[in-house]
Amino acid sequence: MRIFYLLLFFIFSFNSNNLFADEATDWLKNEIDKILISYQNNELPNENRFLMIEQTINNNFAGTGIGKFVAGEAWQKASKETKKEYIKNFKRHLALNIASMMRGYSNQKYKLSQSKIDQKNNIILIDMEIFSDTGSVVVTWRVKKSKERYFVIDLMVADISLVVTKRSEFNSMLKNVDYNLLEFNKILYDQNNESYKKIID
Amino acid sequence: MKSKFCYPVFILITLLAFNLYGAASDQVSTNPDDFETSQIEDEVYDPLEPINRAIFSFNNVADKVILEPVAKGYRKLPSPIQSGINNFLSNLRTPLVVVNQILQGQGQNAVESTGRFFVNSTVGVFGLFDFAEKMGLEEKEEDFGQTLATWGVGDGFYIVLPLFGPSNLRDTTGMVMTMMTDPINAYAVSEGEAWIVPMRTAANAVDQRSKIIDEVNALRDNSLDYYVAVRSSYYQNRKAAINNVDDTQLTPVPLISIEFE
Repeated sequence: MRIFYLLLFFIFSFNSNNLFADEATDWLKNEIDKILISYQNNELPNENRFLMIEQTINNNFAGTGIGKFVAGEAWQKASKETKKEYIKNFKRHLALNIASMMRGYSNQKYKLSQSKIDQKNNIILIDMEIFSDTGSVVVTWRVKKSKERYFVIDLMVADISLVVTKRSEFNSMLKNVDYNLLEFNKILYDQNNESYKKIID
Repeated sequence: MKSKFCYPVFILITLLAFNLYGAASDQVSTNPDDFETSQIEDEVYDPLEPINRAIFSFNNVADKVILEPVAKGYRKLPSPIQSGINNFLSNLRTPLVVVNQILQGQGQNAVESTGRFFVNSTVGVFGLFDFAEKMGLEEKEEDFGQTLATWGVGDGFYIVLPLFGPSNLRDTTGMVMTMMTDPINAYAVSEGEAWIVPMRTAANAVDQRSKIIDEVNALRDNSLDYYVAVRSSYYQNRKAAINNVDDTQLTPVPLISIEFE
């Protein structure tokens, strides 16, 4: 009888995990489609297109958490106002990065091919396979559930994590300003303006 | 008439959809103590950074002026031609892939790669068509840099090679070993056709670059420090290639906590 209950427990756990992953995949597909549809609509002015994409990214990425993580030790020393300004700049920076990357995929077909749960870290990994005429590329989305909502915490292209890369990059620049987040905000703001000009051109 | 009606409706629906979770997402916050900052390596050993940065700048200009435009032109070729070139070049690399798989003790992979080479070189018309893939013989890449890493050789310091790009001491040694032992190159040189070697290298560079045009542009346009972004990407990518494991097990998951206030 105990074995029967154990078996039931495992079957239930397995199915609920699958449901969990499927639900996250459906959610992600919906959000990715919003971004890609805005690129496919040629009548939309570039400024509006970016604003729409930025809003989707801000709504679905754990921008604050990622921002804090990539700031590393500079975060602890900064004032509340500086942190607020940094998060604002970081969210735009994140949106510019994702928008720029997704622009390249806008004319290609894709499939969310595989989703699995990383039990150890309590995250869902969803593989997005993007097809071109000559091959395909896999983007892995790392998704976390919090209070009945999903958030993207990282994405990986060809085994390269966006968050890890950003952390290295930010650390290098922060080192130049002695880990002063206030000074760094100016650099980030200028870079955002430069990237913004490129994306709306 | 129909399209005039659809356009504002589409905009309205899209805007509504985008705003659906707007209010909730603004409340996302984290606790500063919730995440570690020391688990991921922030630094790689780069004692030659000033020289590397100079070479990197040169490479970047060369990429913008020569490689990227050529790669963009290449991407305009009909896809069967691109696939054919890619398959052909990949097939030429296979004998050394097999050697490295054997040296790394990957017997099963070595057998499969050997099978790939024979199928594609014969049925696939000198490697122009990838029939082996259809037979379930998947392409796997291994090189001497990966073999040395498997044997326990460390990365060494980071190097940016003129025209060849990011590398490190171990992978550069691996690259030299590849150049010295490649049977196709050796055959070409012995037959007095040494021009084939740089032609093949250039063709490989264009073919590989054509696959990452959008990704490179996204990185270049949005990086605060493009040099560091490329360095970090190189190390992550190599680490994954060396370990031959799922990326999920490899790259540390950022410890990002999400809480609602």
